[in-house]
Amino acid sequence: MGPDEKDLGQQREQGVIKAFVHLSNELVDDYDIIDTLTTLTASCAELLDVASAGLLLADESSVLHLVASSSERTRELELLQLQREEGPCLDCYRSGEIVVSAGLPDMKKRWPVFSRSAEIRGFESVHALPMRLREHALGAIGLFSEGVGHLGAADLALAQALVHVACVAIVNNKTASDRATINIQLQHALNSRVVLEQAKGVIAASGELEMDVAFAVLRRYARDHGLRLSEVAAEVVGRGLPVDVLLRHGRSAAILPS
Amino acid sequence: MTVSLEAMRSELSAAVGSAEPGLAAANKLCAACVGLFGVDGAAVSTVYEGAAQWTFGSSSESSRRLDEYQFTFGEGPCIDAVTSGRAVLVPDIDAPHERRWPVFAEAMLDDGFRSVFALPIVVAARCVGALDLFRADPGPLRDDEFAGAVLAAEFAEGPLLDLLAPGVLDRNDRRHLNGRDDRSSDEFQEPLDQGRFDDMDLKRVEIYQATGMLIHQLDVDPAQAVARLRAHAMATNQSASQVAFAIIERRLVLERDDRNFGGSGT
Repeated sequence: MGPDEKDLGQQREQGVIKAFVHLSNELVDDYDIIDTLTTLTASCAELLDVASAGLLLADESSVLHLVASSSERTRELELLQLQREEGPCLDCYRSGEIVVSAGLPDMKKRWPVFSRSAEIRGFESVHALPMRLREHALGAIGLFSEGVGHLGAADLALAQALVHVACVAIVNNKTASDRATINIQLQHALNSRVVLEQAKGVIAASGELEMDVAFAVLRRYARDHGLRLSEVAAEVVGRGLPVDVLLRHGRSAAILPS
Repeated sequence: MTVSLEAMRSELSAAVGSAEPGLAAANKLCAACVGLFGVDGAAVSTVYEGAAQWTFGSSSESSRRLDEYQFTFGEGPCIDAVTSGRAVLVPDIDAPHERRWPVFAEAMLDDGFRSVFALPIVVAARCVGALDLFRADPGPLRDDEFAGAVLAAEFAEGPLLDLLAPGVLDRNDRRHLNGRDDRSSDEFQEPLDQGRFDDMDLKRVEIYQATGMLIHQLDVDPAQAVARLRAHAMATNQSASQVAFAIIERRLVLERDDRNFGGSGT
């Protein structure tokens, strides 16, 4: 191992430690599920050196819904959402096994619609890991890379560890072992995401912003005021919190041009 | 006999799709529930922005009456389902431990019913109504029946959204419309089947985002915003997703004035 590689290895190790410390701190506090899972997907993308990571959860009818992603661009979210009908995350959720496709030709054979969308975004390979809590399948996480090939065993183990944390975060009640209780927790996470997307829409329409910028404004406001992301989102949608207040905060925090 | 979830899905979809929008579709859906879940009656109720709840569709006069008791007496599983946003399952309303709705329970027993199952109907993460299933005999829903009932509650969103959006065209008119003005050239969107609109398509990220934009632009609540988006998609023979992307990408602005709404080429 050369000196540069050693540095990289140390950097990464510190990144991993940071990610786990951050997550475990959040889980002790009164955390917001979408915020936590968004941080987690961002950590996955960064630490595993993949271009994009996204997390899908199943509803009561076993339909997958997008819950968190390392990118908030609408078209990236579409790639994840598409897997309701077809794709590695759906196969992974159904089988409970890791699904790997290391190159576009293979992807095209297995998922014609999904691969078309992945190709447009420049993704050449994908890994999907199952999200499970004991015997219950909760959903899947998708990792999209711009290069071809497999993730190494160490990377996969790290990804799986991060996914375990996500599962615990979603089903936060230790006694929640039955399907009905888990479904309530899942539904809570899914509903939070719906309201969050609506809030992004309100902010985007009001400030004439793109959706990823609208998300940044919302998240920044919540953080700077010590509020939960989903609370702020619900206030924005219910119009109890004027959207101008968020836009002003976004300008003063230099997320938006003043 | 166990019916697969897929078979239930296609039967429920056919029931809603075969009727005129609104009340007729709600009635058909309730009738399908009776056939599918081994219940003796079904009703769909609706609540609008915290205002009064009332019975909308039903499978029969007796189930409509039963459902309405709840709003007359101001208590019942359906009201609790709407308030909590969760299913309220009552396998035996005459059970000794069952004390939640004394007045409603008595009326229900007088009418010869023993069990009731209320499922929330959710649009844009808000509870807009409930699906009530009634049985003459006591006993729980089987797992497959419960899964089917959850699905039926999702199908009930359509008729309730018909109610919220003024100017939804009837399905015959819609088939002859061919508005392509704001059709997106989206790479994923297949053209819609003639006259077919799937309300499951409303549960998508772009719909939620466009809903938020409409909340701001039209000054409406979330359920109304979804209803407007859906009605525009139907009127112009596009998928809800196509309309949502047109709104997000600023290629389409819906008018505030409801009277301009629902025609071709808005």
